[in-house]
Amino acid sequence: MDVALSKNGARLLRAFFALVVVFLYAPILILLIFSFNNSEVPSFPLSGFTFHWYHEFLANSELRGALETSAIIAALSSAGAVVLGLLAAMALTRRRFRGKAAVSALLLSPLVIPYVVFGISLLLLFHTIGVPRSVLTVVIGHIVISVPYTLLVLVPRLNQIDISLEEAAFDLGASRLRTFRSITLPLILPAVVSAFLIAFTTSFDEYAVASFVVGTRATFPIYLYSALRFPSQLPQVIAVAVVVLVLSLAVVVAAEVGRRIAERRFASLEPSG
Amino acid sequence: MALANADSSPEHVPRPRRLRLDLTTPILLGLPLAWLAAFFLVPIAIVAAYSFDVYSLNPGPHGFTLTAWHDFLHSSVYLRLFWKSVKLSLTVSAIIVLLAYPLAYYLALSGTKRKYILLLLLIAPFLTSYLLRVLAWKVILGNQGAVNTFLFWTGLRSPDHPLSQLLYSRFAVMLVLGYIWLPFVALPIFVSLESLDRRLLEAASDLGASRLQAFRRVTLPLSLPGVVAAFLFVFIPTLGEFVTPSLVGGASGYLYGNQIVDLFSTGFPDWEIGSVLSIFLLGVVAILTVVFARFLQPGEVTVD
Repeated sequence: MDVALSKNGARLLRAFFALVVVFLYAPILILLIFSFNNSEVPSFPLSGFTFHWYHEFLANSELRGALETSAIIAALSSAGAVVLGLLAAMALTRRRFRGKAAVSALLLSPLVIPYVVFGISLLLLFHTIGVPRSVLTVVIGHIVISVPYTLLVLVPRLNQIDISLEEAAFDLGASRLRTFRSITLPLILPAVVSAFLIAFTTSFDEYAVASFVVGTRATFPIYLYSALRFPSQLPQVIAVAVVVLVLSLAVVVAAEVGRRIAERRFASLEPSG
Repeated sequence: MALANADSSPEHVPRPRRLRLDLTTPILLGLPLAWLAAFFLVPIAIVAAYSFDVYSLNPGPHGFTLTAWHDFLHSSVYLRLFWKSVKLSLTVSAIIVLLAYPLAYYLALSGTKRKYILLLLLIAPFLTSYLLRVLAWKVILGNQGAVNTFLFWTGLRSPDHPLSQLLYSRFAVMLVLGYIWLPFVALPIFVSLESLDRRLLEAASDLGASRLQAFRRVTLPLSLPGVVAAFLFVFIPTLGEFVTPSLVGGASGYLYGNQIVDLFSTGFPDWEIGSVLSIFLLGVVAILTVVFARFLQPGEVTVD
């Protein structure tokens, strides 16, 4: 007898699980259908197949500009967040110092701040010190938001790798920097990459904070939000939505598969136990 | 990068004199802490200063005063709006935790071989664009949206009487927030159920407990930390939510977060009272975080 679930219970839960998955993916599927629908208004009955909306968004330079701006901001802010996260993670896992609990609490606290409050705080900061809003001010905000995510990925990995390898290098006369470069970094590289990807997607999709500190160059979410108010733009926005959603789902799956492969490789490299 | 190359020259080449750079604790922590101080702590302090009128948008004389705080605590409008947001967030969080529990239970305890694939299937939508998932519901729920036009088309409802409460309502806000957060909520519950020692259940069963008794006395109590964490992971971010309500909420879905935004962005901004509302929200969230900290610990990160 299975102690956790009866046969019927398992069947029931499986059906419920399937139902929820349908609920989660149905809206995305509906967008997919309407993105090919030959009508200005996304509504039933469907009125024919077209690639028109995809052509239209590809020709929309404003939209392409917004995607480009978001890509730049995401690249800069995730690079910044990974550097800061790596520094802090090294300190948290490899150093003894007073107030460690407080430091880690501070570094993680952007996880729980309401983004509306953080956005306003940055707005008032830049207003008070007289810095005009621009791509850079968004990057600054996104780095703050992303640092905790990089820590959540990097710290467990740093705790996991065998510290005696680093000690050996250090004992053989390598400086700490050298040890980090030749021993630690290669071992945690997959985690660094996934930290970068998480920070990148966080920034690319971020609307709330960006809406307060964005300059004249709209980011992709900012563009989307304003496009939602114009019904004439809706069909091509739906087409973009489908492209972005499908791409991000593909990246998620690829990242997971990559992580599994990397883990298997490490498992074969490291002594078990 | 100069820093990365500091050690790479071969040993026999006489090195130029340079500053010895090594990864000491101050070097490691200096930059991250300075960044958070400058762009996280100081900005919040500035908001606090605005809430006390130490800083002000208006030119002219101003100085420390509690007027705005007094007004806020005695205004029925702002507090009622806050209460409305609290109730809505509590409801959404409670409903989706209840929905997510059986999902996590199925994944963790049914013995299915594909549990990680199924988990990925569940989580994946959460990792895609937030705004686009809201957009999907706008397309679905509108008067001329997918649901209504489908009903017209199939003759289940006359085009003169669309289901008009679907979009721009409190219901829409709750539905969309639930949709967005449901996959995420399953995760901490799954983790707590997954780490459950199955031998405890076998012991309960051997001692004569029914499945229901074993669930009530063993599984549920042991998974409670995961449930609390899941609840807070939704409740905290949705409490200050303003994006979803502004897109699908209409007038009746207007929440505390929208009020804050409007105080900073409309034609007649009032940064002083807006700052009060912001700091109040932040205070509530901070208290929740501290009180429930032990459930929110991302375990391995807090060393010691």
